Amino acid sequence: MMQHILTFIIFIPLFTAIVLGIMRASTKSLKIGAMFSSVITLFLVAVVAYNFNPDIGMQFTKNLPWIQNAGISYIIGVDYLSLVILLLIGLLMPPLYIYMYHEERKGYWYNMMLLQTGVTGAVLSLDLVLFYLFWETMLLPIFVMIGKYGNGMHQYNSMKILLMTILGSMSMLFSILYIGYIYFETTGMWSFALSDLAIIAFEPKTSIWLAAGFLLAFAIKIPLVGFHTWMAPAYGSAPTPAVVILSAIMAKLGIYGIWRFGYGLFESTLSYYAPTIIVLALIGLIYYAIRAITENNLRKMFAYSSGSHLSLIALGLFLTNIYAWSGSLYFIATHALASAGMFLMIGLTYKRFNTVHISDLGGIASKAPIFTFFFAFFALSIAGLPGTGGFVAELLIIIGAFKADFWIGVLTATTMLSAMMYIFWMLQRTLFGAANKECQYSDLTLREITILLPLVVLLLVTGIVPSLFIPLFEPQLTTTLQDVLFVIGGLK
Amino acid sequence: MTPELFFLLSSVLFSIGLVGLVARRNLFVLYMSIELMLSSVNLLLATFSKVFGDASGSVIALLMIAVIAAEAALFLALIIHMYRSSRTIDSDTFDRLKGQIND
Amino acid sequence: MISLIVVLPFLSALLMGVVYLSNTQKKRNTFYTLVGVGTPAVSAVLSLMAGAELLQGAQTIHYTLFQWVNIGEFNIEVAFMADRLSVVMVAFITVIGTLIHIYAAGYMKEDAAYGKFFAYFNLFMGSMLLLVLADNPIMMFVGWELVGLSSYLLIGFYHHDSANITAANKAFILNRVGDFGFIMAISLLFVSLEGNGFTFDSIEANIGLINHEMLALIGTLLFVGAMGKSAQIPLYVWLPDAMAGPTPVSALIHAATMVTAGVYMVARYSFLYGEIPNIGLFIASVGAASALFAALIASYQSDIKKILAYSTMSQLGYMFIAVGLGAYSSGIFHVFTHAFFKALLFMGAGAVIIALHHEQNIFKMGGLKKELKLVYITMFVATLAISGIPPFAGFFSKDAILVAAFASEHYFIWGVGSLTAMLTAFYMFRLLFLVFHAAPKSTNRLHSVPNSMTYPLVILACGSATAGFLGLNEAYGGGSWFNTFLALPDVSHHIPHATEYMLGGLNVILGVLGMGLAYKMFAKEATEVKADTLFKKILMNKFYIDELYDFLIIKPLLFTSHFIAKVIDPKIFDGFINLNVWGYTATATLFSKLQNGKVRYYALYILAGVSAMSCYMLFKLGVL
Repeated sequence: MMQHILTFIIFIPLFTAIVLGIMRASTKSLKIGAMFSSVITLFLVAVVAYNFNPDIGMQFTKNLPWIQNAGISYIIGVDYLSLVILLLIGLLMPPLYIYMYHEERKGYWYNMMLLQTGVTGAVLSLDLVLFYLFWETMLLPIFVMIGKYGNGMHQYNSMKILLMTILGSMSMLFSILYIGYIYFETTGMWSFALSDLAIIAFEPKTSIWLAAGFLLAFAIKIPLVGFHTWMAPAYGSAPTPAVVILSAIMAKLGIYGIWRFGYGLFESTLSYYAPTIIVLALIGLIYYAIRAITENNLRKMFAYSSGSHLSLIALGLFLTNIYAWSGSLYFIATHALASAGMFLMIGLTYKRFNTVHISDLGGIASKAPIFTFFFAFFALSIAGLPGTGGFVAELLIIIGAFKADFWIGVLTATTMLSAMMYIFWMLQRTLFGAANKECQYSDLTLREITILLPLVVLLLVTGIVPSLFIPLFEPQLTTTLQDVLFVIGGLK
Repeated sequence: MTPELFFLLSSVLFSIGLVGLVARRNLFVLYMSIELMLSSVNLLLATFSKVFGDASGSVIALLMIAVIAAEAALFLALIIHMYRSSRTIDSDTFDRLKGQIND
Repeated sequence: MISLIVVLPFLSALLMGVVYLSNTQKKRNTFYTLVGVGTPAVSAVLSLMAGAELLQGAQTIHYTLFQWVNIGEFNIEVAFMADRLSVVMVAFITVIGTLIHIYAAGYMKEDAAYGKFFAYFNLFMGSMLLLVLADNPIMMFVGWELVGLSSYLLIGFYHHDSANITAANKAFILNRVGDFGFIMAISLLFVSLEGNGFTFDSIEANIGLINHEMLALIGTLLFVGAMGKSAQIPLYVWLPDAMAGPTPVSALIHAATMVTAGVYMVARYSFLYGEIPNIGLFIASVGAASALFAALIASYQSDIKKILAYSTMSQLGYMFIAVGLGAYSSGIFHVFTHAFFKALLFMGAGAVIIALHHEQNIFKMGGLKKELKLVYITMFVATLAISGIPPFAGFFSKDAILVAAFASEHYFIWGVGSLTAMLTAFYMFRLLFLVFHAAPKSTNRLHSVPNSMTYPLVILACGSATAGFLGLNEAYGGGSWFNTFLALPDVSHHIPHATEYMLGGLNVILGVLGMGLAYKMFAKEATEVKADTLFKKILMNKFYIDELYDFLIIKPLLFTSHFIAKVIDPKIFDGFINLNVWGYTATATLFSKLQNGKVRYYALYILAGVSAMSCYMLFKLGVL
């Protein structure tokens, strides 16, 4: 039973969606079915986490041959890295469904269930083609959500995100196929399993191009500066559940991709790309933050904020020392929680005031104190306030940066300054000041507090007692890092 | 009467037919050009048949005449129908398969 | 036990916060007062007990709560260390803090958000105590930032007025700019000492491992943090604006405690600064400059709280002169005495403001010495103390600093310090005379001042009067008990007693001069200063520094942001994508022109294709 648990986790939402679809379920049964599936998935994820052994590598693996002639197999497994993202997915879906409670459009529910399968599968696959399959699968529901249920220029924006992401996916597909071909050349057999392909040594020239294919896909997803123009429009037009998953999960999958496949297949080549990516990440850190200052749309502002922090995570990933890596992993978790909370708050703002434009808001604090507390809390945890998890992560990354190089450290430390540039002015204009007489200010309902409170508690716990979580990933992280360093032979 | 003269005639006829096919819009002229090209091929076949003394060339030419006749019937019938529906025999007006450019 | 000193205020803040949020309309003043004032009181008792333990000769008390992070060599625990320095600090922070809490109970009692106020106030206490009691730089930094957060929350307490929030933003942002330097220093410190533990004790033991340039860099960056937190040049502009918060906030945070965190930090790192006296000189110079600068501005301000704010900045400058020149104990001693009389001054000012129905312009006050007798007497004591008139506390601490400056042969700093002393006396007595002596400007009935506000004043006045004797040095017959208890690595200079008496006498003369000048100008009648001369204009507009920052930093930042939004993002990045899109559509349009539905064109294409193939076959492949 335990053997198959990961398969269940991936496919239960899809299966529920198919069954409900075939039965032409009514909206009410659809909602209940979806929530049920997410809760069961969460429970199963908890079981996996509970039984997770931090000292061994891949666990709960399953290896079934699928398309044998082409060497594609169904291989899934979880290790410290996937576990973090798996936990995030499991944790965030039920609150999202509760948030969507009054949503009558069935498409929302079907798409979210499909999305859950897509992202879970992507994070658990250990076969390259399987990974690619899920990578594309998670894009489609987002495309539909933005294109059909979004606001603003939603059709244009959904096309933009679709096409730009697919551009990256295409290049990744080329790399994958060529790698499979190389494997065939060397061993005479076809296989796309990560463990098989990782053993091959590529020629330097080829390796650079192959890595570029992968990196392009992930750079567009994160997004790194230069590849980011899809982000703000997409976040601005997307409905809240889609934007939460986009920011909290899918962006992190870009990082995950580099971590798992980049370092898994191309360790030595990555040091070739490291300077470029570090520079891009540092520029992005500051560029996005400055851009966010004068952004009037709250969703777009936090899209840029998300980009800024993800650039920081990408930076930490390419500084190969234990502090930066732990910081990045920790930041993946805490930023997902904080940005999920923030986008939920923005969604709640939209529900109450029918606007996400800062210029139309103001004076919430005088009428809705609980709302203010949650809004300010999430905003401040994004700014990396000590006591919240974001601070621990940023601190670790900064230390890692200084360990690598003095000037990188200095520029990384500017992350202290970057978030506050836009957050405080934004808080002032949305929460404080005089209340707008015409608006209806209703405070948070109990249901809304229930979805937000776990996020707050988690952020506080990750900030105050990080030692609860660190032993989960530290052993394997150290081992992986040592392997990488052995190959690269030192820093950068 | 050297065979070369026949070849030359055949080529000239073919070329005239080709130009007529591409350059003229009148459906009848189009048809005539096609007939001309086919005839020139017939001539060529007959010439080669005579030159090599092989009868297959002439046989093919005869068969072709039959096929050409059938094609003529079809073609002319189509022209009549096309005229009845669009009141013109300008081949450029029948361009509905061209596709649209989306802006 | 010392962990309770820190944990209790945090817990009470959490409790009050949750209770407040559960129903913000309900008035639960008794509950909030009990919890809100009781907790600092308990912390005070515990701190004094810890102090007693150390006085009896105990070693530093260590206590570890739990492990925070353990990755690689980065092993940080949430642990507390009560050594002599921190125990002195927590003692007066908690005691004076409790007094101010009592005062606040009276000051804020009409306010609807009473509970929220005490939640924030206790959050601040917890953070400050964490900062002081931390046993490693990371925990100190956590406290450091949380203190900044509490300051932000409290300054922006009256959030209906957006201007207050602007002030709060300014405070937090400038604090964070300082923290930027601070965190760089901590990271560099850790990276240099990696593998040798990271608590203050272990850093002190291993300080020799770091080379001189790195030490200098770390020392400077740490001071950058202090510049922000303790409002020295150039990161001071938030302090005057911070007066937008309620007066108890100004008393506790911006006079007695938070702003002194920078001085504490330098004293805590005394083992580091001892190695880099040049940086120390730099610190002392910044302190001297800030002291003089602030004193000049204060002489022309008319808002009572702003005068006190600039006065705080000025006194902080003195403290930095002391710790910069290696006289760490004198610096902490001045922190100690300053807490008494500055808190008293702010609280007295608050009483005056309430009495006059929230009037804050001193030129609109006057003649209050009869009505607010108690306030007048206590404030008079405090003003004497701050002006350095013996036997009040300020004299001994300020004198110690100036003597240290003179004795270490930094005469310029000594000169600036002495000049500032005169100005201090001048503007403080200006304030006193204008508020209490001059002819009254308004004839309204005074609002009554609750006892909870006046009693703490008395206690603090006694402190201002007597606290100085703790630091009495040999020249004056005492045993420097304060300094010896602290046992900090002071740089000692010996100057003959005669010189000391001369210097002391000079200070007194300067103080009396300032007082006399103020008396002559303001005691009888006062007219509001007009900005007629250029000199006055510059001073009254605070040297136009705010405008300078706006011009140099805020405007370029906003411009860049708009530039990115309007030009770079759409034209360059999107432009590249749009170029591709244009390319595709242009090519598509081009190709679609080939497909025009006309038969003869298709025939032509067939012709072209066949000819090409035939030519290729004939000429290239040689088929013939």
